[in-house]
Amino acid sequence: MKGRGQRPATPALADEIGATWMRYWFTPAGPWPLALVRILGGLLALALWGSYAWDLETWFGPHGMISPALLDAWRSPYAVSLFDGTTTAAGLPVAYGLGGLVLLALTIGLATPVTTVAGAVVFASLLHRGPMLVGPADDAVAVILWCLAIGRSGDAFSVDRWLARWLGRPAPAPSVRTGIALGLVRVHAAVIAGAAALAQLGGGVWWNGTAAWWLAARADSPLVDLTGVFLQSEYLMNLVTHAIVIFEIAFAAGLWIPAARRVIVPAGLVAWPLIGVIAGEPSWGLAMAVLTLGCVVPGESRESR
Amino acid sequence: MRGGLTVALSLYLVGLALCVAGNSAKGSSALVRTLKSKLFSPWMTPAWLDLGYDTLLTHGRAEDGDHRFEIRRLDDPTAPEAVILPGPAMHGERAARWRRLARATAVSEADPTREALLPAAVGQGVFAPWSTNDVSLRVMRHLPPDRRDVIDGLADVAGRDGEAYAARVRRVGGAVQLIKATPREELAPLVGEPAP
Repeated sequence: MKGRGQRPATPALADEIGATWMRYWFTPAGPWPLALVRILGGLLALALWGSYAWDLETWFGPHGMISPALLDAWRSPYAVSLFDGTTTAAGLPVAYGLGGLVLLALTIGLATPVTTVAGAVVFASLLHRGPMLVGPADDAVAVILWCLAIGRSGDAFSVDRWLARWLGRPAPAPSVRTGIALGLVRVHAAVIAGAAALAQLGGGVWWNGTAAWWLAARADSPLVDLTGVFLQSEYLMNLVTHAIVIFEIAFAAGLWIPAARRVIVPAGLVAWPLIGVIAGEPSWGLAMAVLTLGCVVPGESRESR
Repeated sequence: MRGGLTVALSLYLVGLALCVAGNSAKGSSALVRTLKSKLFSPWMTPAWLDLGYDTLLTHGRAEDGDHRFEIRRLDDPTAPEAVILPGPAMHGERAARWRRLARATAVSEADPTREALLPAAVGQGVFAPWSTNDVSLRVMRHLPPDRRDVIDGLADVAGRDGEAYAARVRRVGGAVQLIKATPREELAPLVGEPAP
């Protein structure tokens, strides 16, 4: 029998789920992991942004290959891009240059509450201007930039923080916004790794152990020539193939188990760039490493996540 | 405040799950497709978050090989050899973007809603900088050799190139025309003269 004012009994499982949810999303987090993600993610975003520079006019100029008419037929009706409005030869480089400056400001942590949001918007805009040019690294960096826009990534290692210290303002306290941003980074790191593993397992070459050969034997993409090594040893080729898939699955699952996370996160910082090099997608490997960096749990407050 | 954030985060996570399921290269169910396109795509697409993240890297298929353009102007017999994109001086992500564009040009030919759009656009894109109105466009696809064939001496480790797409793109009276080259295997075999 319940007394007055006594809480009704609720199933323990529901309580536990609710508590876990609240702990995961709403535990305040210190600034430095997200600040590191901002710096490295910003540098990567700048590199990807810069890769358009030489061919900007050829692709997006008034007489460029990817015309607005082509885009109408190509992309989703919900897609929009700030670059859709840059229809003159002068407007395009100006908009592109301003976008690069926004990403630079984001990277150094200048006016981060504004530049992180603006950076995510301009980066998504550039991708929408030429969706057929976009690779997996662009997708991952777009996610990183939105996570930065949510959290307080300028609270450490930033021009903003340096200015605040100069003005005598105290160091910012751990923030729920930063905790949510880091939570989203971890969700996306797991989802991208898991989706990649699932996609790979849809092809027979990842089961019969020859995928590493097909990656290495391509003409231009690979950064290192591993064909000689794989010709020498079939077992090594099989090992590399299986190791990539097993790592991706272990990474996607291990991020949610504290004991496994302590191993899989440092391993990811090394393994993702290596996978990127082997697969001929080095930018994607680096983007995944940046996402992994956001999964580092530095203090006790996040230890329980 | 936390209640509102919980609702927002839950919505986003459902959207993320549906985007992954709905953008799979293997296709998606009508239910997932409809839910995603009606409820989530309108706000996730502009942010470049309506993604499947299905980075398969390779399935060992021909279309997973490296692609490149070979574009040659046809109205000037003294013009130099075909321009190759990505060229040898292009590296990194810049070269990768050209390879993606070339691959999309070849692969999109199998999509009835996009057929001929990209080849015409790419061909038209060189008209102004090259001061021409007539080019031939080829998408070359590198076909890596089978490892066993290399070991058995049946193939070179460098692989070979195959033509994934070819067309002539020209502008006549202001209108762009695309004349797709018919792959050789689709032509009827030549019939020799009957023996007397």
